[in-house]
Amino acid sequence: MFMGLGRAVAKGLGAADTAIAEYRGVPLIDTKEQLRDNVINILLPQILDGWGKRTAASQAPATEPKPREIVYSGTLQQVQDYFDQQLWADGLPVIPPTLDRVDEFLRCCDRSPDDVVGICQPEYREATIWNIAVNGVMAGCRPEYMPVLVAVVEAISDPLFFLEDAGSTPGWEPLIIINGPIVKELDFNSGSGVMRVGRRANTSIGRFLRLFMRNVAGQRIPPDVTDKGSIGLTFNVVLAENEDAVDELGWAPFSVDQGFSRGENVVTVQSCVNITQPTYTGGEEALNHVQIIAEVIGHANAYWSFCGIRHRKMYPLIVMSPSVAKAIADDGWSKDDVRKYLYDNVRLPAHLVEKYARNCAYNDYDLGKLVTQGIVPAEYHESDDPDRMVRVFVKPEWIGIVVAGDPGRNQSKGYVQNHRQGVPVSKKIRLPSDWISLLKRRQAAPAK
Amino acid sequence: MNERTRTKGESNFDVVWPLGRLVSPPVERAPAVLDLNGKTVCEFWDSVFRGDEMYAVLNEELRKRYPGIKIVDHVTMGATHGTNEREVVASIPDLLRKHGADAVISGVGA
Repeated sequence: MFMGLGRAVAKGLGAADTAIAEYRGVPLIDTKEQLRDNVINILLPQILDGWGKRTAASQAPATEPKPREIVYSGTLQQVQDYFDQQLWADGLPVIPPTLDRVDEFLRCCDRSPDDVVGICQPEYREATIWNIAVNGVMAGCRPEYMPVLVAVVEAISDPLFFLEDAGSTPGWEPLIIINGPIVKELDFNSGSGVMRVGRRANTSIGRFLRLFMRNVAGQRIPPDVTDKGSIGLTFNVVLAENEDAVDELGWAPFSVDQGFSRGENVVTVQSCVNITQPTYTGGEEALNHVQIIAEVIGHANAYWSFCGIRHRKMYPLIVMSPSVAKAIADDGWSKDDVRKYLYDNVRLPAHLVEKYARNCAYNDYDLGKLVTQGIVPAEYHESDDPDRMVRVFVKPEWIGIVVAGDPGRNQSKGYVQNHRQGVPVSKKIRLPSDWISLLKRRQAAPAK
Repeated sequence: MNERTRTKGESNFDVVWPLGRLVSPPVERAPAVLDLNGKTVCEFWDSVFRGDEMYAVLNEELRKRYPGIKIVDHVTMGATHGTNEREVVASIPDLLRKHGADAVISGVGA
């Protein structure tokens, strides 16, 4: 289990020779006898062997290319084949990252190419302005997206985000949410078909993030296998909020809920472990809308709540079409009212929380024990009744609401978040001093 | 068409590397442990994948083979996965010193 990821983490931590003993089976399915046999005859010899072998010191990392060094020269197809062989592409055609193209991206950013934005785990590689630009070129971004790309990388390399856990078995995928005037300036789609590929800003920036995680953080599917997502999701396109619609409601944009001022350009990145069904709600009464959202989107979160309950982190996101948000707001409900309703009313029988947890990985998951240990609040074990209904969400203020999608339809969708892995991290987008004139120049002259 | 064949007039691209510099911190190595008699083994568990059952079997076998071994089990060492994980991981070196660890097992899956 986790062998590729384990080796990558050990190497990244400067201890590539760390002994890793491999359990050759499926612990959550194996019988007690199989587990015993595996431990005694397979694990133990590897553990003893590992303790007996130590190298004298850290191995010096192999020499790797410098930022402006040309690593390959060839036609479009040859570059693609080479990048595929090196595991530097994501299965889709990439734009060749030539010096000219990368420099064009760098001109859309006030920072030095050598500036280190963060350290990306599990491989412990530096995220720099330079390699953000390189991967931005490859993903098909336009150069003027560069300030957004930098903010996205600042968010994922923040230690709060736990980027090193992006290869965990649930196979979660980061989701970028963008707010501010830049939504219009860079032509993001926030209306019909939002979250579908098709608009360059939403799509290429979403692709960029997965490509960057692959190349700089080192999260790759086989043949490298640092990514242990059992059944992964594909990359998410960027979710842009329809702030005109939000303004009409008298609600605050999502970025304000994250602690920023209205009108600031902000990206938020959070994990998404699954997307719910389209949830249709109608009528003038807010209660009818939120009841159905609680039943459908709440239910989708309920299954996965054993993680959030135990880790005390859970940040579900609801994308609400403008008409649904308007009906709720017109009936006098604020976003906080919606959150409180969901927090109070989305519940699951305690025995199901424990059953789902034990079948996932937490084989000794017991709400009573977790309460005794002070890990979860007392409300989770007020009696021994296995059918007692326990709360799914951890804090009402952690339920995100973004207004986007078809204004002519009454739909919402939920994005289930993966507890302490990929908690929402927001960063202000820092624009170069000549942003408006730069934008005009760029829009007048398409990229070479 | 052979994918590696150049089409007439096709451009050539000189391309750069999309990764970043490795910045692994230097790590001091613990000495090898060849005989576990008289040695202290500390165990960490991340609360998943039946590690409690694995450790029970493992400890029984280790004590059988090395009667002089001292095992500080995962219950004493504390869980490594969950809330405040960064703080927990940062506290591990002190915890290992406190228990006089000669060898460590951390499982399962991480």
